[in-house]
Parts: sequence; C-alpha cells; structure tokens
Amino acid sequence: MARTVPSRKTLRPTGPRRPLAIGAAALALTASAALPAQGAAADDAKGGEKVLTVAVSQSVDSLSPFLAQRLISTSVHRLMYEYLTNYDAKDGHAIPGLATAWKTSPDKLTWTYTIRKDSKWSDGQQVTAGDAAWTFNKMMTDRGAATANGSYVANFRKVSAPDPATLVVELKQPQATMTALDVPIVPQHVWEKVGDFTKFNNDKQFPVVGNGPFVLTDYKVDQYIKLKPNKSFWRGAPKFDELVFKYYKDNDAAVAALRKGEVSFVSNLTPAQASSLSSTPDIKVNDAPGRRFFALATNPGAQSKDGQKFGNGNPAVLDPAVRRALFAAVDRKTLVDKVFQGHAVEGEGYIPPRFADYFWKPAPDQKIAYDPAKAASLLDEAGYKTGADGKRLGKDGKPLGLRLLCHAIDPNDKAVSKYLQEWWGKLGIGLTVDCVDNVTDPWTAGEYDLALDGYSVSPDPDYVLSIHTCAALPATPKATGQTDNFVCDKQFDELYAKQLAEYDTAKRADLIKQMESRLYDTGYINVMAYPNAVEAYRTDQIASITTMPEAAGNIYGQDGYWSWWSAVPAAGSSAKSGSGSSAVVVLGIVAGVIVLAGIGSFLVLRRRAGADDRE
Amino acid sequence: MTTTTVPDKAGSLAWARRRDSLARFWRSYRTHRAGLYGLAGLAVIALIALTAPLTVGEDVQSVTSAPGTALESPSGQFPLGTDQFGRSLLGLLIWGARISLAVGLLAAALSVAIGTLVGILAGHYGGWLSTALMRITDWFLVMPTLVLAIVLATVMSHSLWTVILAIGVTSWPTTARLVRAQTIAVESRPYIERARALGGGHGHIMSRHVLPNVMPLVLAQTTLGISNAILTEATLAFLGLGDPTVVSWGGMLQDAREAGAVSSGHWWYLAPPGIAIALVALSFTLCGRAVEAVLNPKLGAR
Amino acid sequence: MTTASSADTPAVVAEARTEPRGRRFAAAGPVLTYLRYVGGKLAGAVVSLFAVLVTSFFLFRIIPGDPVRTMTHGRQVSVEQLAALRGQFGLDLPMWQQFTDYCGKALTGDLGTSYQFHAPVGSLIAEKLPATLLLTGTAVVIYSALGIWLGTRSAWRRGGLGDRFNTGLALTLWSVPSFWLGLLLIIAFSVGAGPVPGLFPTGGMESGDTTGFGHVLDVAHHMVLPVLTLVAVQYAQTLLVMRSSLIDEMGGDYLTTARAKGLRDDAVRRHHAVPNALLPTVTMLFINLGHVAAGSILVETVFSWPGLGGLFYQALSVPDLPLVQGLFVVFAGAMILMNLLADLLYPLLDPRVGR
Repeated sequence: MARTVPSRKTLRPTGPRRPLAIGAAALALTASAALPAQGAAADDAKGGEKVLTVAVSQSVDSLSPFLAQRLISTSVHRLMYEYLTNYDAKDGHAIPGLATAWKTSPDKLTWTYTIRKDSKWSDGQQVTAGDAAWTFNKMMTDRGAATANGSYVANFRKVSAPDPATLVVELKQPQATMTALDVPIVPQHVWEKVGDFTKFNNDKQFPVVGNGPFVLTDYKVDQYIKLKPNKSFWRGAPKFDELVFKYYKDNDAAVAALRKGEVSFVSNLTPAQASSLSSTPDIKVNDAPGRRFFALATNPGAQSKDGQKFGNGNPAVLDPAVRRALFAAVDRKTLVDKVFQGHAVEGEGYIPPRFADYFWKPAPDQKIAYDPAKAASLLDEAGYKTGADGKRLGKDGKPLGLRLLCHAIDPNDKAVSKYLQEWWGKLGIGLTVDCVDNVTDPWTAGEYDLALDGYSVSPDPDYVLSIHTCAALPATPKATGQTDNFVCDKQFDELYAKQLAEYDTAKRADLIKQMESRLYDTGYINVMAYPNAVEAYRTDQIASITTMPEAAGNIYGQDGYWSWWSAVPAAGSSAKSGSGSSAVVVLGIVAGVIVLAGIGSFLVLRRRAGADDRE
Repeated sequence: MTTTTVPDKAGSLAWARRRDSLARFWRSYRTHRAGLYGLAGLAVIALIALTAPLTVGEDVQSVTSAPGTALESPSGQFPLGTDQFGRSLLGLLIWGARISLAVGLLAAALSVAIGTLVGILAGHYGGWLSTALMRITDWFLVMPTLVLAIVLATVMSHSLWTVILAIGVTSWPTTARLVRAQTIAVESRPYIERARALGGGHGHIMSRHVLPNVMPLVLAQTTLGISNAILTEATLAFLGLGDPTVVSWGGMLQDAREAGAVSSGHWWYLAPPGIAIALVALSFTLCGRAVEAVLNPKLGAR
Repeated sequence: MTTASSADTPAVVAEARTEPRGRRFAAAGPVLTYLRYVGGKLAGAVVSLFAVLVTSFFLFRIIPGDPVRTMTHGRQVSVEQLAALRGQFGLDLPMWQQFTDYCGKALTGDLGTSYQFHAPVGSLIAEKLPATLLLTGTAVVIYSALGIWLGTRSAWRRGGLGDRFNTGLALTLWSVPSFWLGLLLIIAFSVGAGPVPGLFPTGGMESGDTTGFGHVLDVAHHMVLPVLTLVAVQYAQTLLVMRSSLIDEMGGDYLTTARAKGLRDDAVRRHHAVPNALLPTVTMLFINLGHVAAGSILVETVFSWPGLGGLFYQALSVPDLPLVQGLFVVFAGAMILMNLLADLLYPLLDPRVGR
C-alpha cells in the first residue's frame, strides 16, 4: 500500500499499482464490507437540514494526510485542509490556495510563497507559513511522515518560514511542479503532539482541526464519513448543511439507493447502469471525459539501475516489429464501442485529451492504425513465420505464446483480455491471460510479457512521465522503484529533464508532447482508450454542481474541492424522509405477518394435536 | 487350458454377482421417486452439455464475432437476451454447462479420491498412521472450507485447475471419516480374516476387498459432493476467483453483476444461470440421497 | 444428515455413528470418565489451534512475493530502506524466530499491524465482529428453530404430502447459490420493480441517523433481507438432520413401550422422541455457530454488511498478510471452540451416554 504518488489516486484500478487498484477494486469488486444503506438525502429527517449524501465504496486507508494514499482519503483531505495551490475548475491551471502568490529566484532554485492571512484553523487559531514549513519539514525528516507524499519533498533542500506570511522552499534541482504540490498543510499546534506518524490515523477525536471548506465531524469505518461546512472558509462557505460519504460496497446497491433517493450522488457507473438511469426522472447522468488512460504495456526487458537484467519477459516482445504488429491488431474502436460501450475515447497519445495543453496525437504516418493484414505481414517480415497449424513460430522455432497480466478485479481488464486473445489468435499468436489479484508481485519481478496498464493523470503530468525514466528504475533487482514498466530510454530521459527545468508553460507543454511522441514510437506503452468518468446525481436534491473541467468534466475525485464546495441544494427538495419512519412501517408489517403466521400455525397445530388425541 | 478357464469362470461369476447386486440396487433405487427425478434431470443436463458443440458451437464464446448488441432483452433471436458483449445468453448458458459440470465432477472426484485414500489407509493400518491421518482430517474439518478455498484460489493464478484444486483439497475430510469407519467395519468381517490367512497382503486386501465394499459409500459421497462442488465453483467465480476467459455459470453471474444487471433490472441476465446451478445441484443431491437411502434404508431419506 | 451437511458433519456425530460411545464410559466412574474425556478434547482443541497458527503462518508465507516490495511498490526505495522496513515488520528474522514471535504475540492477543489500515489487526477485527455476530447469530437461531420445527413435523408424518413438500422445498432452496438469492431479493424488495416500492434497504447495517429504539428498528430493518437469505439457504440442513434422527428415534423400542402404556402420540412425540432426536441437531447448531464468523462472506458481500467477511475479502486483495492471518485464525478458532463445546456437551446431553 504504500505509494507516494502525486497523481491522484484513481477510481479504477490503475496500472501496476496494486494499492490503487484496491480502492478501485473495492468499487468494482464489491469486495466487502460496508455499508449503511439508508441515507437521508437532501432533506434530512431532523428538521430541514440539507444533507448531501455521496455513495462511496473505497475504504479509507488512513485519515492522516501523512499516510493516506487512496482516492477517498485524499479527496476528504482536500475538503479538510487547504493546500498551497489549487487547480482552476475551468482548465486546471494552478491558482491560489493557501498561498496567494509565488515567485521563483533567477537560478530557479528558490520558491517563495505568500501565505494568505484570511484563513483560520477551525479551532480559531491563525494559519501561518509556520504551519506549512512544519508540515514539509516533518515529511523531510521523519520517514514515517513521508509515507504518502514523500516524493513531493524529495528534491527539497530546505523549507523555512521567515515570517508568518512567507514560505521559502529551496530546491536541489529546478522543479517545474512547485505549483502542483498536493500536500495538505496541517496545523502545527495539533500535529506536533503526534508521536509515531506511522501509527496515527487522525480518526479518534472529532471534529478534526482543519482550514478547508469542510470540517470532518465523524467517521465510522466503512459506514460513513461526515463533514460540516466551514462557515468561515475564505472562499465562501459551502451551501449544504452537511456532507456525508456513505458506504455501499456494492455498486448496484449504491445505484438502487440513488433511485430511492437515499443518496444524492453515485460514481463509477457501468454502461448498463448509466443507460437505465438516464431514462429515470430526476436523475442526471454525467458522462465526462476521463483523466485515465488504459494501455497495453510490453515488458521492455526488466532491469535495474545498475544494469542488471531480471524477470522472464518473452524475447519476442523486445522486437519493435512484434510490438508494432501486436498493437496494429488491436481494434481500439471496437474496444471503445463494445467494452466501454461508448463511454470512452479511442486512445492516441499518453495524456488524455481532457488535458488539452498536453494532449498529443500521432501524425498519420506515425500512427499504428488498426490493420490486421499489415500486422500479419509485419510479423512475416520480422521472421515469425506461420507453422503448419496456423500458429506463428518464435525465433527458437517453438510456437509463439505470450502472457498477459491483468487485474482480476477489473471487469474492463477481463473484457479487453478476451478481445486481445481472439485478435492475436487470428494472427497465430497464443495468449495466456493471467488475471491475478495481486499483480504487483509478477509486475515488480518483471515476470510478464504484456500487461494491462492504466494511470490517472493529474493536471500536472510530471508524475506519470517520471515513471518511465531510467531514474525510476529500482536500484537493484531486489529494490523497488517508481518505474511503471521498466522503460529506460535515453531520448525520453533527456526530454524529461528539460521539461522539469522549464518554467515557461508553453515551452514545457511542447517538450512534454515530444516525450509522448517518443514514448509512442517505442511501443512500450500503447494507449488503447481513455475511459470516461460516468456518474449520476439526483436533480431534485442537487440543483447545480461544478464539474471539472467546468465545460464537461467529472464530479467525484476532482483535483480540487469544487464539486462539493459548489453544490447547491435543490429548492424545496423534499427527497425522502429519514429511514426511521419507513423502517417502522415496514417492520411493523413484517412483524404483523409473522405474528399472524404464528397464531395461524399454532391454531392448526392445536387442532391437529386434538385430532391425534382422538385417534 | 484349464488354468485359463478357472479364472475366467471365477471372473464371470464375480461379474454375475456384481450384475445381480447392480440390478438389486436399481430395483431399490427405482422406488425413490425423488431420486428418479434427480436422475432424469441429470440425464437432460448431461445431454445438453454433451451436445453443446453441435447445438451452439464453440463460437458462442467468441466476443469478436458476437451476433448481438450489448445487453439486449429476450427476443426471438436471443431467447434469453445477450450479455454485455452481445453474445447470446442462451448459448452461453448451454456452453457454460460443460464447464460447470466438468469442474463439479473433477473437483468432487479429486475430493473423494483423497478422502477414500486417507480413509482406507487410516482404517486398514490403524495405529499411529491412523491417528496421524485422522488428526489431519480433523484439522481440515475445523478449517473454514470456503475461506481456505478462497485463499487458495487467490494465491494461485486464476484458472479452472486452481478452482478444481481449491475445492478438492478442502472438501475431502467427511469422505475420509466415513470411509475409515466403513473400512473398519469391512475388515472385521470373517472373509477378510480368511483372505489374510490365505496370504493376502495389505495392498491386496485394500484394493480387492475393502475398496469394492466402500465403493457404494464413495459413490453416494461423490454424488453429494458434486452438488457442493458446483455451488463452490459458482461461489468462487462469483467472487471473481474463476478463470475470466472461460464461460461458466458462476462466471456468468459475476459478469452480470459487474455489468450492473442488478440495479438496471436486467433480471433475465441474472436469473437463468442461478436457476441452472440450483437445478444441477438439486439433481445431484436428490440422486445422492436416493443412493444413500438404498444403501442405508434406516436413514429414511425417502 | 450427510446430505445437507456433508462438508460440515460434526466430528462427534460422525464418531457417534461409528463407535458406540457408551462403551467407553462403562469402565470407570462416570464423572472421572467424563473428566478424562474433557481433558482429551481440550488437548485436541489446543493441538488444532496450534495447527491453525502454524498453517496461517506458513500458508501465507509460501505465497510467492515479498510483502515489503508489494507495500513499497511505486516508490523509490533502496535495498537498505527495504531491509529497514523488513526489520520493522520482523521479516528479516529467521523463519523459526518469526514463527515463535508470531505465536507468542498471538497468544497475548496481538495479531500484528495491518499493512493497509495502519492499525492493529485485533482492533480491526474487534470492530467488525459484532456486526457479523449479529447477522449470522440471528440467522442461525432462526433457521435452527425453523429447521427443528419443520423437521419434526416432516418426520412425524413421514412420506406424507407435507413431508414431501417440506423436504423438497428445503432441498431446492439449499441448492440455490446464496449470493444469487440475495441479489434476486435485492431486485425484488430493495430496488423495487415497477410500481412496487423498495421496501428494504439495499445494504448496510444502519442509516446512521437514528438513535435509541429507532436505531434498533433501523438495524432490524437492514437485517431482514440478509437474514432471510441465510435462513432460506441454510434451514434445510437442520431440517434434514432433525428429520432423520427423529425417524431413527421413532423406531426405538421405548417409544412403542410408551405408546403401549397408553400415552398419546402427541405426548410421546413431545416428551420422548423429540428430546432425544434433538441431540445431533444441537450438535449441529454448535457447528453452525462455529461457522458464524466465516459463514457469511457471501451474504455480507452482497448486502454490504460491515462484517468480517468483507474485511477478509479486502485483506486478501492487497494482500494484507497480518490481517488475512488474523482473520484466518479467528475463523478457524471459532470452529475449534464450537466443536469443542459440542464435544463437551454431547455426553452430558445424551441420556444413553455415560449414565
């Protein structure tokens, strides 16, 4: 579980990251446990309070910002704590958060942030630069506190607060991502009392002191997370009287609850659910461009930084022609139509089109288009001839068989595997689909040929690019690395270094597009689709809500707190009254039936007994 | 000449005896109406499964050549509708019978084989071997079967063999106990004494005398075990621990759930595989009970 | 009995069938014999518990893979840091030492710290245990009562229409996959079909907005469908055991005697046959209680019940070794405990044994 990843944790299982996957898993899978079912929706039983209830399924890993890595937890932290910067709801560019302004030194190594004066902790104390400095310093000095977000401070030399309104960060190397530090700033006066950061989960004392738009007031594992609006929030208080994340481990149960008005919002819908909900009155389905890519990764020959090779990837996929041929036999359009049933966009470059600044697509002559005939001839030319039985033979003369690693908990992985198996089967290549619960082990050991990969991309794409650099490789075969797929490409690395030191946004975007182009050509990461975020909410409970991007975007798991902060209760939303009363009615009926049945059978028995006696 | 005819004669005699007892068994079985229903059900299902290659063909599994669109409701072309890939659910249901039955049979066979082996060994040798084997058996008995099966299926790769292994390895102890008891009972009969006196070794006694005598019990156990195995297979597949590239009934239920069939109200996707599982499990249970009742009329399973 | 419970036949029942227990108690005084018997059973339970500890320890260590690498995946972690982490979790010690540490801690109730929740496994389990006990405990009580009642009626009128209907229905329900039945119940009674409103919640244990008596009602409301599912699928087992042991009893000579003495059928049934026939059923009740912890994984999954089953599933998918191990020990421990209780009670309850 440990991951220190800047990129937001995703809803769906992403790539090799098991941990994420889990969260996701929890969703997709319904594995287990939890939750409360009935929730009052907009209008709670207790006297007209407007409650916004959101169905969730992922378990919280920790409510400590120093440990939390799952999407649910980091989303709640966004609401509880203000970060230095935020992302604009329209296009995701960095905007003021706790910091009102920032500037860099000419040598690009010193960043100075101005901390806002109109933000107070919920216990009344003033928020100062000292809190921010303390937070970063804690992460730099205490390994336990670096569990979740340590990678953000890895390049920090020194962090200080010369005065309450000024935060100074000195870097070891220039770093273009300094306005995308997704680190919750915590109150020093509360957190300095914490002893062991690896064990403190921040979930015992409520309300939790924070300075975000909401204050965490209650939490019960796998049952609910409750937050109240922060009335003195500097950007303005949220409109709802309470925000409740309610657990439904089963997505079908969550959808049913939405239909009944028990919850106001549900995410992660399947195509079937989306289409059946779209014809339901008072429910709006939000089918938004996603922030994820769904890719076919090929094992480039797992290696560590010291140059040692390991793992057992099939040598055939080291041949660029084979990688090309494999991808050319993948009909991306069919995948979008059939697997995602239209709720996705055909894959092109590495970064999804939602991030327009960084989106890149291959030129027509560069593109590996769907063309099974071409794929077959590519393989023929590369020397992989078809044997008598229609199976292609590898260079060793044996039939060519590849393994595909997939997440057993991800329905899309399983569905795509079926298609790949059939398409490549037609090429004469056998495919063993290896769907496992714990993909991390074979993945980190390099024991795979092909794998289904996916990441959620942040507004700043630095992280998802960094995982394909040589620097991300594990130090030795026994160590672990940040690397996604063991890609190590000199040209890509040079571009990566350049973009990280480039503080001019447009120039940096251009460098990033060049990186995407290079990655495309290597054929190690072949993006097949960008799945949409499919969500639904009750319009009789939520009058309006901000999506991100504002024009057409998602609601759950945004990069800011826009959705829940901006949500406006529907006028006169009566929704359902609390469950209490209906429970009484229903149980009354049930009890009545049972009592009647009991009396009935008792009478019958008595009569029978009487009959027996007479015999 | 004569030397060959003697064993022949003995062989045919034994054969005749066996045929006799089989006929007796059948006459007695015939009186159990529920057992006959079960048998009829099994015959129909076996016929459907065996003829599936002719009636629906292997192509029914193919996603790339699926004939329909996603999640169609029942129609003339697709009597049970289609799944999310546009494949005919009726076809998948028929094809899935093969996998579900095969897994059920193999897993039950594995389980009963282990149980019989352990039971006969423990019953025949007695002493410390018996104690040790029975300790292991007891210990497996207290293991939560489903939990153990889930763990096994999780740590191994998701394939049919994993499922078969997980079910077989976790469900044998009951058989072992029953077979051991039966073995002890059989070995106390005089003719075993005689066989021993005539120089029959351990192997001879176990395979020639004990095994044939515990076979009826084993048969009943297998029949009952299959319905358990089919249910467990469905359970594992439903929890996402089955082989995703193979169509089985439990897997269909899992697919239905993953597609959101429950909240979308697509009951026609959800209902048939469950009914099929229940029918097969019920048929095997009815047969097993009838066999048991024939062997041990006191049980009164009639 | 074999039918419904083939996988779960209580050891005592199987044993009772093969070795007339009475004989064992004949020699010494009954109390002494019983104490010796208790000692034996206790020793057996301790051995079983130890075996469970051993299994849970080694079973999850033969899994290929390195928990520390799994934990740190996606981070840049050097070999030295990994070694430090291993030290922190005690994974660098020799296997035997890890094992003794583990056993020692397990005996004091310390089951380690969950990798994913950063919390003690013991407290995680304790937090979810009540929900599971409530759900499955209620179900066990209801289906045992139902099974005993219907089983008695069936046996008394063996072969009649009612018996055939009863056993047929029970066997059919028993053949139904519980998760499937649960899903159908959700469609029918939670989602609501057409004009029929959803009567029951779709899942979970409470609404979170009620207190006092209202809260009790609320939880009861949430329990209806999951309990119904468990009862429907499970009562067959009790019914069949009760039925067949009662039929056995009714063949007994003493019943004929009782009847000859002029007792009414009903009284014979109530005062003689049923109490004796209850024995195997009671034993099975204990075995079922042993299953309580592990038995509801599926139903908890389908109904989003916040219990151990869900926790187990979540732990497995990481895999969160300490948590999986801890749950495994708890599941198996419950079985051992209940088996032991059944073993100890059996001779006390059986009038033919040890008197």
